[in-house]
Amino acid sequence: MSTLSSQAQLMAEPLEHLINRGGIEVPMLPEVANKALLLAQNPDSDAIEMAQLIQSDQSLAGHVMRIANSAAYTPMSNLVSLQQAIARLGMGVISEIALTAAIGAKMFDTPGYEKYVAGVWHHALATSLWAKEIARHSRSNVEVAFLAGLLHSIGRPAILQTIIELAKQQQVDLIEEDVHQLENIYSHRVSEAVVNLWKMPRLVIEAVSTYTDYNNTLTSNVQAAQVTIGARFATHMLTPELLDKETLFVLPDLSTLNLYQDEVDKLLSQTAAIRARLEGLSS
Amino acid sequence: MSESKFNYDMLVIGSGPAGQKSAIQAAKAGQHVAIVELDSLFGGACVHRGTIPSKTLRENALRVKNMRQNAALADFKLGEDTEMVTLIDRLDEVLKSHDKYMRKQMDRNNVERIHGRASFVDNETIRITKVGGDTIDVHAKTIIIAAGSYPRTPDNIPIDHEHIFDSDSILSMLYLPSSLTVLGGGVIASEYATIFQALGVKVTMIDRYPTPLGFLDSDMTDTFVKAFNNMGGSWMGNQTVEKVYWDGVSEVVTECVDGTVIRSQKLLCAAGRLANVKGLQLENAGLILNDKGLISVDENLRTSVANIYAAGDVIGSPSLASASMEQGRRASCNALGISTGMMSQLIPAGIYSIPELSSVGLTEKQAREQYGNVIVGIASFEEVARGQISGNIEGMLKIVADPQGKKILGVMLVGEGSTEVVHIGHMAMLCNADVDIFVESTFNFPTLAEAYRIAALQILAKRSE
Repeated sequence: MSTLSSQAQLMAEPLEHLINRGGIEVPMLPEVANKALLLAQNPDSDAIEMAQLIQSDQSLAGHVMRIANSAAYTPMSNLVSLQQAIARLGMGVISEIALTAAIGAKMFDTPGYEKYVAGVWHHALATSLWAKEIARHSRSNVEVAFLAGLLHSIGRPAILQTIIELAKQQQVDLIEEDVHQLENIYSHRVSEAVVNLWKMPRLVIEAVSTYTDYNNTLTSNVQAAQVTIGARFATHMLTPELLDKETLFVLPDLSTLNLYQDEVDKLLSQTAAIRARLEGLSS
Repeated sequence: MSESKFNYDMLVIGSGPAGQKSAIQAAKAGQHVAIVELDSLFGGACVHRGTIPSKTLRENALRVKNMRQNAALADFKLGEDTEMVTLIDRLDEVLKSHDKYMRKQMDRNNVERIHGRASFVDNETIRITKVGGDTIDVHAKTIIIAAGSYPRTPDNIPIDHEHIFDSDSILSMLYLPSSLTVLGGGVIASEYATIFQALGVKVTMIDRYPTPLGFLDSDMTDTFVKAFNNMGGSWMGNQTVEKVYWDGVSEVVTECVDGTVIRSQKLLCAAGRLANVKGLQLENAGLILNDKGLISVDENLRTSVANIYAAGDVIGSPSLASASMEQGRRASCNALGISTGMMSQLIPAGIYSIPELSSVGLTEKQAREQYGNVIVGIASFEEVARGQISGNIEGMLKIVADPQGKKILGVMLVGEGSTEVVHIGHMAMLCNADVDIFVESTFNFPTLAEAYRIAALQILAKRSE
């Protein structure tokens, strides 16, 4: 805390107070995202219900159809109805598309930081896709990995929004560096708060809560490690200048999931497919 | 090679039940020992993916089943969105205490733990590749291969760990499914099929053989199938699966050769396990696998290469954690010239299905083939007060005696408590006691152990006939 500027220090106490009493303003999980998740998990639901749900939101329906028709998902085909898209891609994939479309950067009001927040969200999407493939490789649950990867940094835009609002209220002038320092200090706790508030499955909550330090838990440490490594793979794919292949290969976190070099290579061979899926989801 | 060139007296590959016991035994004999484990977690599949997690789930499944049975005491129903992690809620504690205990034991005995992949350079040299790619070569006088096994995946089963699981990934499902197809009729398939059925999942078990657990007598497997059906499960024997696929919407489709189609939310493929020898480069040590893909050993657990021993799942049947531990211990003793006595062939088998099954010695079928007109005594748990009190009336105990009705050839049980109660018969057999011991001894009342007396009395009655 001593490295914070005096301006940032002025903000630290009220932020701490807000987080401790659960006062950070977190948007509700959009109803359509919540319902899509529930439908995908409910064995009694069918494609018609999912189609009806997505159709209830015109812009979401258009978005889902655009992604479903993209080369990453259905090459060489032309899906004309949502039901057709669901039948082709499955409820799980459609719910993922709906979820990623319904939540994201636009949920938060972060004037001046829109581009940065969009980048954070883009990285979270890439993390979710990588975490999913890493989970599949590690023979464990891909759904948990996807959700935890997607939401692991959801606290960043949420705390940014709070910092910006609070600074305005208290008439504190913060430079960008101060904002990011405060964001780095508090975002993880806010991510935890968001996934709890959104009533995510227990394993997702545990993975998001512990991915920065997962050695104290045994049952969820695999999922937490998948998120951490997924985030590293995402960084390498999006900004190789920040994390090159040589550094990626010797990350200590790989040890938790026993990702030996040939296995990392095998995973990296999916980069083009993951990039295509990411572009589809981000379009 | 001079002795000074050896880094270790003994190097053990794998930290499962066989590897641990090998290492501890050798260390206790004063040897400098290391265990190489490719997983960052210590304990092998048994601890982290198999025996312990599935038995933790089983405990909760039994609770759920009991609560359902006692509807007058509790109107119990699992929620539709029950998360799997809730059903194995004690697993973290169980694993933590097990991990702590194992690590302490290794540290106390100065066994070095090395995280990496082992491969043979020659019969005394192992190359260990670390996760980050670094390699070290270590030399050991004796090497014990206890690398365990992994699930077999038939070509026509596209396991994705999302809709179609194997026995290593099944417990990583996020939610308890509404329906599950289980492919296979062996121990793992039977355990998971009945555990999930007891939890209220609609389970269909499919196998190419007419009955599950075909190595047991048909009266035992009939009782098992009846109990499974009574819980709501479906057994489909004599079925060959042609194709399995996810329909892309919400169900896994299983198509059988005879045209039968089964749809379920998830599918578990339990088609046996294969020796985990990939990457060991056994050929560099002069070892070759047998036609079953296993490492062949002699009665001393020694491979065809004098300084290399093997134990546990890599040598095949019985592939039980209990037997693997003893094999591991014996492999070390044999390598070090420590006398062990004959390894008893009487290894009890425990199947932690619901209900449990257990057996020791010969089945009735095997006994008839070897001894002719054997005498059999059967006690239903219905006849035992303890069975009635606890509602455990689906079970039975069977004693198989020689044609004179004296020597105990085998004991089999089905019903809750079987894996514990079998040890009474096991001990009697190890002591070469006659069937009479069960009649002449006093058992606590009421206990399931009384079933021994009832079955033995039947044999005595038939003896006089």
